[in-house]
Amino acid sequence: MSDAVLASARPSRAREAWRAALLPFASWSGGFAACVLVLVVTVAIFAPWLSPYDPLVNHFDAAGQLRRLEPPSGTHLLGTTYYGLDVLSQLIHGTRIVLIVGITCAVLIALIGTNIGLMAGYYGGRIDTILMRATDLAFGIPFIPFAVVLVALLGPSLWNTIIAISFLMWRSTARVIRSQVLSLRERGFVKAARIAGASDMRILYVHIFPNVLPMALLYVAFDIAWAVLAEASISFLGFGDPHQTSWGQMLYLAYVSGSIRQAWWWTVPPGAALSLFVIAVFLVGREYERLANPRLR
Amino acid sequence: MAFWLFAARRAAHTAVTLVLLLLFMYVLFRLVPGDPTTIMLGTGELPLEAQQRLRELWGLDRPQWQQFVTYAGNLLTGDLGMSFYFRRPVLEIVWPMLLNTLVLMTPVVVISIVLGVTLGTWLGWRRGERIEEIGAILALIPRALPVFWIGIVLLALFAYELRWFPIGGMRQAFFFPETWYQELPFFDIARHLVLPVAAGVLTSMADPLMIQRTALIEVKHEDFMVHARARGLSEGAQRRLARRNAFLPVLTYSAIMVGFAFGGQVLLEVVFNWPGMGRLMVNSVSQRDYPVAQATFFFMAAAVVTLNLLVDLAYGWLDPRIRHE
Repeated sequence: MSDAVLASARPSRAREAWRAALLPFASWSGGFAACVLVLVVTVAIFAPWLSPYDPLVNHFDAAGQLRRLEPPSGTHLLGTTYYGLDVLSQLIHGTRIVLIVGITCAVLIALIGTNIGLMAGYYGGRIDTILMRATDLAFGIPFIPFAVVLVALLGPSLWNTIIAISFLMWRSTARVIRSQVLSLRERGFVKAARIAGASDMRILYVHIFPNVLPMALLYVAFDIAWAVLAEASISFLGFGDPHQTSWGQMLYLAYVSGSIRQAWWWTVPPGAALSLFVIAVFLVGREYERLANPRLR
Repeated sequence: MAFWLFAARRAAHTAVTLVLLLLFMYVLFRLVPGDPTTIMLGTGELPLEAQQRLRELWGLDRPQWQQFVTYAGNLLTGDLGMSFYFRRPVLEIVWPMLLNTLVLMTPVVVISIVLGVTLGTWLGWRRGERIEEIGAILALIPRALPVFWIGIVLLALFAYELRWFPIGGMRQAFFFPETWYQELPFFDIARHLVLPVAAGVLTSMADPLMIQRTALIEVKHEDFMVHARARGLSEGAQRRLARRNAFLPVLTYSAIMVGFAFGGQVLLEVVFNWPGMGRLMVNSVSQRDYPVAQATFFFMAAAVVTLNLLVDLAYGWLDPRIRHE
């Protein structure tokens, strides 16, 4: 059989990637969720052009009075905050924090968690014991209180929030990857590679890693949602970066200024946007979960 | 391996974890710039000599490891130090807050598990039907909602707009009962509990629900279920049988939930102004009241680790195979 026949029988790489990208659209819930995610990314990229005002500029009316808690109107489509800021502009700029936190945390968590899982599962013995005890320890630390303490000690900033979130969240990824590696380690192709004289590093990253990649990516997807929720929670507790507009921060300010009584236009949009984003990540993740874990089908 | 040996080994593991946690926390809180003399009294408030004397008096001039050993030793005798802010022993401050947290979290945990298991069984039983597909997605939604936002919405609707429930806290300062039922003991606390418990249940229910659903789907195809069907058991009886046999994973999860409940849900307590451990923790961090922050933090962690130990022991007791891991 010639190579050309083989190549035509197998779909090309680009085609496979395209099929994977379209996978969520197989169901109505997944398609809806994918649209939400595309929307958030688009808004985040074009935020400065889309938002009607600077999110951190106080607005005054003709008489020079601060436009405090104005309900939605033609000039301020989602009204204003207690501090006279435009809610819509804040909402739009909040998408950037969502993307920065979601992606950075997910990458950090994946790097730490996957590597710890790979090392622990592959080497076993003492290394496994030490790494898994560290994981147990991380599981014993209550997440939100720890993040609050760390951010308070390091000083509130977006970067410190990201560090605080990633510092603990690798724990579940590490456990799952380890258990996968434990079974992969005994498989024929790993033994074959070892007999062929491949180094540990090569076996780990060339032979084992591609096999745990689907599961790792799936965890990364869910971690994006958890990280975004965690950032919102930290901001809501008042430990967020005061120079950034995040959705959690908006809810914190609405809460502490005592505006939740009347200003639904200030409290509903960020909360609804946050929930919608997290749900969308869950739903898209669910579609890919079926791919990574055939038992669910 | 004999059970007692297994139990002793697990307990030793837990003890080591606790000491490591304590050490980790000790180091974490030593990252703060300044030391208790400057945090407690402010910089420049005290002549340097007096500050030095205080340092010697409090043992802050000794090496760090000695200070840690003293700290850990004091902790074992229940001495958690003095609060910088309240100027009272930490234990006196933490203890009532812990009780308040349990008042809030007990109904949250119990209702979440009962509702979660009931709905999870129902969904798992109808696996493959359209209603199950929709139900599973609906169950995901509350899990995705930030609990503090649910709190804000509930407060805006039911406390501010409709005025059915109080706007937060645990008791009203001067509560005068008007009708007979308002005179019942705990009536005041109960009406303060409704909204926070509702918000807590909404977010905590999803996990036991999904776990029960998955477990039920697996149990459904076991031989004893086929046998039950062949025996002609009614649909309801079959479902009860499946539910009971699928309960173990939820039981494990419940223990973990209880562990977290001791720490209170920080966000839930903050948004509803509930005077519990979680809110105390956040407040003490903002007020730089480190002895209290340290104590609450350690307490939360210890509760989680201890409950995990209990789960392990229960598993070892029930299933001897686990002891030989």
